[in-house]
Amino acid sequence: MRKHGLSLSGIALMVSILFLGGCWDRSEINDMAIVTAAAIDKLDGQSIELTLQLFIPKALGGGSGSGGGAPSGGQQLTFVRSGKGLNIADAASKLQARLPRRIFWGHCKVFILGEAFAREGVKEEMDYLFRHPQPRERAFMFVSQGQAAEMLRPVPPLERYTAEVARELSEQKIGIRVTLKEFLEMLDGEGQAAALPYLRLQPPQKGEKKNQSVPFIAGTAVFKRDKMNGLLTMRTTRGALWLRKEIQKASITVRLQGTKREFITMTPIRQRIEIKPRIHDGQWIIHVHIHTVGDLVQNGTNLDPMNPDLLHLMEQAVQRSIADRVEEALDRLQRNLNADIIGFGESFHRAYPKPWRQARERWDELFPKVQVRMDIRVNIRRPGLGSVPAAVPSDEVKEK
Amino acid sequence: MTAMLEKGKISAVQMSFLLYAIVIGTVIISVPATIGKHAKNDLWLSPIWASLFGMIAVGVSIGLHRMFPRLTLIQSLSRIFGRIPGKLLGLAYLVFYLILNGHGIRLYADFIVGTALPSTPILVLMATMIFVASVAVYGGIEGIGRSSQVIVPLYVLTFLIIVLLLLPDAKPNRLFPMLENGIVPSLKGAVTPQGWFAETLLLSFILPCLSDSKKAMKWGLAAVLAVMTTLVLANLIILLLYGNNVSRYVYPLLSATRYISYAEFFENVEAALVAIWVLGNFIKFSIIQYAVVLGTAQWLELADYRPLVWPIGFVMLLIGFWSLPNQMVLTQYSSTVFPYYSLLFQTILPLFILFVAFLRIRASRGGPTSG
Repeated sequence: MRKHGLSLSGIALMVSILFLGGCWDRSEINDMAIVTAAAIDKLDGQSIELTLQLFIPKALGGGSGSGGGAPSGGQQLTFVRSGKGLNIADAASKLQARLPRRIFWGHCKVFILGEAFAREGVKEEMDYLFRHPQPRERAFMFVSQGQAAEMLRPVPPLERYTAEVARELSEQKIGIRVTLKEFLEMLDGEGQAAALPYLRLQPPQKGEKKNQSVPFIAGTAVFKRDKMNGLLTMRTTRGALWLRKEIQKASITVRLQGTKREFITMTPIRQRIEIKPRIHDGQWIIHVHIHTVGDLVQNGTNLDPMNPDLLHLMEQAVQRSIADRVEEALDRLQRNLNADIIGFGESFHRAYPKPWRQARERWDELFPKVQVRMDIRVNIRRPGLGSVPAAVPSDEVKEK
Repeated sequence: MTAMLEKGKISAVQMSFLLYAIVIGTVIISVPATIGKHAKNDLWLSPIWASLFGMIAVGVSIGLHRMFPRLTLIQSLSRIFGRIPGKLLGLAYLVFYLILNGHGIRLYADFIVGTALPSTPILVLMATMIFVASVAVYGGIEGIGRSSQVIVPLYVLTFLIIVLLLLPDAKPNRLFPMLENGIVPSLKGAVTPQGWFAETLLLSFILPCLSDSKKAMKWGLAAVLAVMTTLVLANLIILLLYGNNVSRYVYPLLSATRYISYAEFFENVEAALVAIWVLGNFIKFSIIQYAVVLGTAQWLELADYRPLVWPIGFVMLLIGFWSLPNQMVLTQYSSTVFPYYSLLFQTILPLFILFVAFLRIRASRGGPTSG
């Protein structure tokens, strides 16, 4: 046994020589250029321009005790660099050549596609983001009006850099919220269409610095296969969100029938949405059941919501408004863009696998003809803190 | 009677942990993608069919063990088929497991290089793994058994936590349409994992060291069921997360784990996943190397197996390093060649061996035997 022990330690010594060369994959934080957001543009229909928003660690490190918030004196936390190339990988390597630190994608949470690039088709470039081991599938995707690179340059007043603005906007689910993984799924899913939130820049307000514009979500970019072919406004986006079961934090303001300009506003607290596909006599039908429950937040009429009959009137108005929005979205998606971003194809595939197999190829013809039947129920559960309308003389309040 | 080369003893529970690690170690890394390619959204069913081959292998090992209680597969082959044919068949088995382990280590190293350490030479990763495995083999089966007792529970726990963390992103309706094209796709999906399940045949090298061999059957099957459950859970969670395009990913469970994100800071959990996969594979590679080393010593009728540990480790390194040009070839090999290679060596031949052994024993004792 003694002899073996010796040879063992001899081998251990020899093997350890292997490691004297150092670690091959050692990467210190100060050797990395941390990407916070990336923008992809297509220039003159040929070359790809990759623009990266890169984090400046020393801007944050300086004044300790400042709470880690935005640096004082308008010092920027990020800077922006671009590179041109034949594809993203090429552009990234060109960009790398002009950076003293190695590009690190691991913290990139935002990818913005320029509209021109999106309209020409994105699939070739998506492969890089999917295949490269560093970018994360959890990153949020956007399409921007004009050059995507412009979204990265401003220094927003509230958040530390525009990437954070974009990410927070997505997290709030005001518009559609799509991660890289979900975008890839939509691109090769049954619907053969995809959707991304559409970003625009809000110019700086009076008194703000020139570069203090802020990106905001202005609608939804709709992709047919991998090419963007249209845009939903914010209003139609909300209609589509109901169908995608993603509606959140909406407030619905409607005019009551029989009044001139008197509005009530309800905020839905929770909703149950069911999408039920049916094929009846060769007619493809989708039943949409929406049940939403919410509170009254503003009552501009002289109606007393404490009266169940009058409350019902309000509920009906909200119900009509939801139906209108959904129909508007359907009209645009079915008739106009012919893009199934609301998962009808998926639902038919799940419920009717066999007919779907034949229909899949003809989905382009079929989708616009799918009949949608809606059944919407609205319950206003609580009146808020006020009973009768405020600032209305009590003899004018209509209690019945 | 051949001398016992191994004096260590392990418990039935440790044996079960070893079997679990043998199968799950490499199968969970990339095989779900292969299953998904064939079975689409029925991929979670495939491990259930495949586990049958694990049960056969466990059954055969224990059957042989009951006839030749203190012998490993290599030794009993000479008893069953006579000296020369037995030796030839034994050599075939040793080569089979030698190659299997070499390829397993390559799969592991390719995974680490491809996901975590891109500029580290693959040779270093393979050599370090074989080095620690060899040290473990040198120490004997007791050491490997005890480390499995520490590592496997940690492995299972980490895996379950990851599955739980992924639940909020799971969409249950992705299960449907279930069995869209009948049962055949899920059976096709079972072809590849079947080969991994059958690796439980290595039980026949462990059984002679078992302190309570009466519990062998129970714990052996428990290990197969545990692997099956783990694989079903893994496949389910990646299906519910990714839909039926799981085969787009080379390492689906790793990609899924990268998707975990809570409150903007609880991220990058894949480091934990990679860590337990390294540990689990350490157990896997040690126990297979142990089986090859012990089997070779018995085949050569040596008095000690220790002198063989380092040379065999080195041969495994060469097999892993030289026999495959790239990761794509290994993946193709694992899904087109290995399943049938395994079917022959780990299912058909063992059943045949058991059958002949049964006939022999009955002939020599003049009646059926049991126990």
